[in-house]
Amino acid sequence: MTPERWQQISRIFKSAISLDGEARAAYVRDQCGPDESLRSEVEKLIESHQQASAENFIGGRAADDGVVLVIDEVEEHPPRLNKGQQLGSYVIIDKLGAGGMGEVYLAKDSRLERTVALKVLSPDISADKRRMQRFSQEAKVASSLNQPNILTIFEFGEVDGLTFLATEYIDGETLRHHLRGKRLKLTETLDIAIQVLSALDAAHEAGIVHRDIKPENVMIRRRDAVVKVLDFGLAKVTEKKSHALAEEESEAATAFKTAPGVLMGTVNYMSPEQARALSVDERTDIWSIGVMLYEMVTGLMPFGGPTSSHTLVQILEKETPAFPKVADAPAELQRIIRKAMAKSPDERYQSAKDLAVDLKSLRKQLEQKSVLVADDTDRGPDKKRVLVLALVVMAVVTAGIFGWSIWRASRARSSVAVPPSAPVAAVPERLLTYWITVQEFREGKYKEPYTMAAEVSFEPKDQIRLYVSSPQAGHLYILNEPPRGAAAVPEFQILFPSPTANKGSTFLEANKQVQIPEKSWFQFDAQEGVERVWLVFSEDAVPELESVKGFASEESKGIIADMTLNKAIQDFLTTHSATKPNLEKGETLTTLKMPGKLLLYAVRLEHH
Amino acid sequence: MKRLPKQHEITQLLAEWSDGNQSALDELYPLVYDELHRLARRYMSRERKGHTLQTTALINEAYVRLVDQRNVHWANRSHFFAISAQIMRRILIDHARRHAYAKRGGGAQQVSLDEAAIVTRALGSDLLRLDEALKSLAEKDPRRSQVVELRYFGGLNNEEIAGVLHVSENTVTRDWNMARAWLYQQLTESAAN
Repeated sequence: MTPERWQQISRIFKSAISLDGEARAAYVRDQCGPDESLRSEVEKLIESHQQASAENFIGGRAADDGVVLVIDEVEEHPPRLNKGQQLGSYVIIDKLGAGGMGEVYLAKDSRLERTVALKVLSPDISADKRRMQRFSQEAKVASSLNQPNILTIFEFGEVDGLTFLATEYIDGETLRHHLRGKRLKLTETLDIAIQVLSALDAAHEAGIVHRDIKPENVMIRRRDAVVKVLDFGLAKVTEKKSHALAEEESEAATAFKTAPGVLMGTVNYMSPEQARALSVDERTDIWSIGVMLYEMVTGLMPFGGPTSSHTLVQILEKETPAFPKVADAPAELQRIIRKAMAKSPDERYQSAKDLAVDLKSLRKQLEQKSVLVADDTDRGPDKKRVLVLALVVMAVVTAGIFGWSIWRASRARSSVAVPPSAPVAAVPERLLTYWITVQEFREGKYKEPYTMAAEVSFEPKDQIRLYVSSPQAGHLYILNEPPRGAAAVPEFQILFPSPTANKGSTFLEANKQVQIPEKSWFQFDAQEGVERVWLVFSEDAVPELESVKGFASEESKGIIADMTLNKAIQDFLTTHSATKPNLEKGETLTTLKMPGKLLLYAVRLEHH
Repeated sequence: MKRLPKQHEITQLLAEWSDGNQSALDELYPLVYDELHRLARRYMSRERKGHTLQTTALINEAYVRLVDQRNVHWANRSHFFAISAQIMRRILIDHARRHAYAKRGGGAQQVSLDEAAIVTRALGSDLLRLDEALKSLAEKDPRRSQVVELRYFGGLNNEEIAGVLHVSENTVTRDWNMARAWLYQQLTESAAN
C-alpha cells in the first residue's frame, strides 16, 4: 500500500466513524467515488473498528493479563533450593532463573570461596542415567578445554538426588538480551562471532559439537564484553528420546506441529540436517552461527514463519534471503553467511577456523578502509605538528606498605594459586586484553568518563585509567616511556606493579582485572608528544624487570632514577619487541596475542 | 565498563532527549531497560498467585528511582514514559517468546537457564502476533503505532500520550481508533489463514 493510499483511507475512515448508519455509508460512497477497492478497504476497516470496540480489543494494558499468568507459573514451580541452603559444598545465595532444563542459582563454593552459577537439572532430564553419563563425559571434556570463550565448568555432580552443574558465574547478559530485536554494529557483530568461533574451534578440536548455538547460549560479560558460550554438550542430553517417529516425517517437524501460532526460537537456528533429525557433526554449529550472524547484522531472522513447521520447511527449502536494504553490511559478509548456511554440510565452511579466518580478514579490510577515510580527513596542513607529551602519575592514595616482604608473601601465595587446569595447547600463546577509560577535561570541568573506542588525541589535564585482564595467569609489568627527546636512554616510569595495585605483586591471576592506577587517574600535562605505555605479560617472572619493582613507591612516583637500569629496560624492550603481537580490536577493548611465553606491546597515546 | 545509572545522569539525558538530541536516547535506553527489567523480575518473584501487576505501577516506580524529582520538567516525565512503554513492550515480547520455548520443555529446544521464564500461556502467541502487526504498522504510520505502544504497553492515558507526541488529544483518539481497527483486522486475517 502506498503512503498516499494509506493517508486517503485514514482520512475517510476518520470522518466516517463519527457518522451513523446511512449517513456513514453515503459519506464513504461519496468519498470513494468509482474506486471500488478503496471503498472495500475503508468498509472493512470500519467493520474491524466496530468489532474491536465491541470486544474491547487491546482495551486493557498489555502486562495485566500476562503478569497474572506469570505469577501462576512461578507458583507452579517453587524453587527447590532456598537462600542459605546447602547443596554439597555449595551455599545458595540467590535464584537467578529457571527454564525448561531446571533452575539456576547463584551460589558460593565454601571449599574454594568462589562464586559459581549452579544449574540444578530438572528430574525428568536427570532421570535418564545413560544420557546423564554421556553428558558427564562431555562436561568433563568441555571443562578441560579451558578456552577463554567457553564458560568454565567446575563440577558436574549429584547430591541428595539433585543433579547439578557448577560453572563460572558471569555477570553479564545473553546475546539475545543484548540484541533486543535490534541489529548490532558491524564491528561488534564480527567481534562476537569471532569469539564464538574461537570457542567452537576449541570444542570441535576436542570432538564436541555444541548443537544448540543461539543467542540465548552466548553470554557477554558486562565488564569487558568478553563472549562466553554456554551449555556445551547439553543439547544432546535434552534431545528427543524417541526415534520411532522418524519414519514418514522428521521427528522435529512432528514434534512442533502441535504448537501452531507459537514462535519457536530454537527452531530458527536449527540446521537442515537437525530439522530432518539426521545425525549431525560440527558443521551444524557452522550453520547456526551463520543464522546468528544474519540476525546480528540485519536484526531479522533469515527463516521464520507463523509456526515452527513453516520455519522448518523454509530452513529445508528456501535459499538464505538477501540482506534487507536497511542493513549496510558489505557484500562480502553476505557471501560469508551464505556459505556458512549452505544447505549441504559439504558446501559449508568445513571448520570454525575457516569461517573465523574469513571474518577476521573482513574485519581487517574494514579497519583499513576506516583508517584510509580517517587519513583523508586528517590531512589538513595544521595536523603536521610534532607531538610531544608527558604523563604524570597523580598522587596515589596510599594503601598499606609496599615492600619486599609483602611482595614475597603474595608471590608465595600466587605459586599455590595456579589455575586448576593449565592450558594444554601444544604451542604456548600469551593473551592479554586491555582497554582505556578517559575522562576529558574541557572548559574547566571533567566530563563523564567513557571507555575509549578509537584513538583519541589527549589534551592537558585529561585523565586516563588503564585496565588489563587475561584469561591466563602470568607476570605483568607496565612501564611508561616518556616522549622521545634528545636523550638516548629514556627515563622509564613503572606503572605496574604499584604500591597499591595488586598489592605490589607482578603476578596476575587468570581472569583478574587490574585497574591502573588503582584509586586515581593518570593525568596528561601540557607537554605534547607520544607517550608509550609498555605492556609486558609473561608466563614466568622477568628477571630484567623484577629489579625495577623497588621504584614503584610513592616517593619516587614510579620514576626509575637509575640510568643503568633504564638502559637495561630499553635493551630488554628493544630485543623483545621485534615480534609484534597479533591485535584484535573490539569496540572498546583490544586483545593482544603472541606465540611463546612472553607478550610485549606498546600502547601509543598521542597528546596535543 | 558499565556505569550504574545515576539520578542526575538520567535526568540530564532525558532533558537532552526532550531537547531533540537523539543520541541521548541511545544512552538512556539501556539504563532504563535494566531498571525496568530488574523491577519486573523482582515483582514477579515476590508477588503471589492471582496478583495483578500494573505496567504503570512498574514504570512509576522506575521513574521515582531513576529520575531526580527536583530537577525534572513535566515534558521529561512524558518522555520517560514513552521510552518505558517501548521497553515494556520489548520485555513482554521477549518473555512471551522465551516462554513459548520453555513450554516445549524437553526436545532440543530448552530455554536458556540464564533468564527466568516469565509471562503467559495463551496470551503469548497473541502478544507476539500483535507485536508483529505493530511493527508493520510502524512502517506505514509510525505515529499511530506509537500511540498503541504508549497506551497498551506503557499504560499512558490519552492526555499523557498527547503530551509525549506533541499533538492534541483529539488526534490521539483518532489515531487510536484507526490503529486499533487496522491491528484488529491484521490479527483476525492472520488467524484465519
